[in-house]
Amino acid sequence: MQRTESAALRVQALGKSFGDVQAVADVSFEVRAGQVVGLLGPNGAGKTTTVKMLTTLIPIDSGSASVAGFDVAGQPAVVRQLIGVAGQGAAVDEKLTARENLSLFARLYKLPGSLRRQRVADLIDRFDMESFADRPAHTYSGGQRRRLDVAAALVAEPPVLLLDEPTTGLDPRSRADLWAAIRELAEQGTAIVLTTQYLEEADQLADYILILDGGRVVAEGTPSALKRDLDRDVLQVQLTEPGAILRATSILGQHGQQVISDPTDSQTLQVAVGDDATLALKMLRELQDNSIALSDFQLRRPTLDDVFLALTASKDRVSKEA
Amino acid sequence: MSVQTTGRTTELVVDPGPVLRLRRAAMDTESVLWRDLLRTARQPDVLVFAVVMGVFFLVLFNYVFGGSIGAGAGIDYLQFLVPGVLVITALQGAQQTSMSLAADLTEGVVERFRSLPISQAAVIAGKTLADGLRNIIGLVLVALVALLMGYRFASFGGAVAALALATVVGYGFSWMGAAIAAKVRKPDAVGMLSMFWLFPLMLASTAFTPADTMPGWLQPFATYQPMSAAADAVRGLANGDVDVASIWLALGWTLLLLVIFVPLSARYYRKAP
Repeated sequence: MQRTESAALRVQALGKSFGDVQAVADVSFEVRAGQVVGLLGPNGAGKTTTVKMLTTLIPIDSGSASVAGFDVAGQPAVVRQLIGVAGQGAAVDEKLTARENLSLFARLYKLPGSLRRQRVADLIDRFDMESFADRPAHTYSGGQRRRLDVAAALVAEPPVLLLDEPTTGLDPRSRADLWAAIRELAEQGTAIVLTTQYLEEADQLADYILILDGGRVVAEGTPSALKRDLDRDVLQVQLTEPGAILRATSILGQHGQQVISDPTDSQTLQVAVGDDATLALKMLRELQDNSIALSDFQLRRPTLDDVFLALTASKDRVSKEA
Repeated sequence: MSVQTTGRTTELVVDPGPVLRLRRAAMDTESVLWRDLLRTARQPDVLVFAVVMGVFFLVLFNYVFGGSIGAGAGIDYLQFLVPGVLVITALQGAQQTSMSLAADLTEGVVERFRSLPISQAAVIAGKTLADGLRNIIGLVLVALVALLMGYRFASFGGAVAALALATVVGYGFSWMGAAIAAKVRKPDAVGMLSMFWLFPLMLASTAFTPADTMPGWLQPFATYQPMSAAADAVRGLANGDVDVASIWLALGWTLLLLVIFVPLSARYYRKAP
């Protein structure tokens, strides 16, 4: 295998199926040192399966991946020395304290004794764990546990770090702390793969985003490019009467535009109108002509949310009527 | 304080020869052993349970069944029983290995172990070694209770040899327990399965009664099966009537268990659940 220095992690046409279910199909990307690549998608999009393949936990069915030029399938023992994992699957020993956990992982990564103590102390300091470092992990809050989890992934200072939904379930303060730590790691040259369900998180942290849905990449690019590519103004209307939603959907959709409704909100509809403000006006007039009362409307620039919703929209969220 | 993350802090091992591979596996085993000893110290209930069960068998069999079994076989029943209970205690330790490894495998930390550059067999090796050490403590405590009940070892050396042999046989069985746990994974099912192997071995054995009172069809099994071999061998060592054939048989069974279940448990463990 040729060593390729440019990319710390290279993923080519990765695929995995469980029985008849294609969990991941044709996923390709590269992460260079200091870069954060975000895998963004809803539950079941294939994010965790991708991470598990890249961390040698499950075999790769098709395609290939390499870390620092070492093939993940061919040389898993070498790859394991070069990666750190934190998040959903990987965890810590609940019966041990943070200090003992970090010490255990430092031993298992075969750090020399003197360096081991230093590294454990550094990580406890860095992730602000001193106050709970000598209590067993099963007593920790979600935020404390996640900090230890990420710290454990950093024990051997791996050049490639995989974070699988690292902030899921964290309070805003813990999330912000973790974001800062991730940014710092990237600045220091770590190549980071981050999976998340949160658009804001991908937008904030990632230099490059792949949006996954049903195991496939449905869009990719820098956060700004993704938003620019779907450069189409959105008309958002708020109905006074929830009962009018079906009629309103059909009226808004009669020019061929995709109408998106929020499954948790039966009074709000969104329709992308491109840069055609006249079309938006026409739609509003048609609603008025059909006696559909609006409590609010706005014409706005797309957010990453719109991109995400448009790309991962499943049938229950979208109604497109001819 | 900041942690440098750009440089590597450990030498990248790309193609370890067999010697380095073995040395690294030994380091991993030592690390996992340290982890499991810490966990054992935090959960003394497992040790307490093993000792309580041993004492339970001593009391139940000596005071309840002891009169009839002892009189029927014409032996001093306590002297007969205690070595058998020591072997049972050791095998229960193996059953605990099976159940606690199954519980361990449901914890997320095992997922992390699988992503680490370590010998995966070391995870089980460290566990069985820690349980072996715990077993020694349990055996000593059960032996002390037996002494209080009036049991007498023939000699101190005999006592040490008896406990050592019980520990070794228990260690062989703990790898079988580990293989079952790594294959089955579900803690409830593993608990059930460990009853299936432990109880027949325990009851159809020479741990509680001599084989010659059993029906003829059962006698070959009850004489040569591993727990009987171990009970006879430990009894010989403890009571000063060394039975060399039983010792070899017990060690042979242990070796067979290790030859089969060390590679098998490593293979099952490596497979993703």
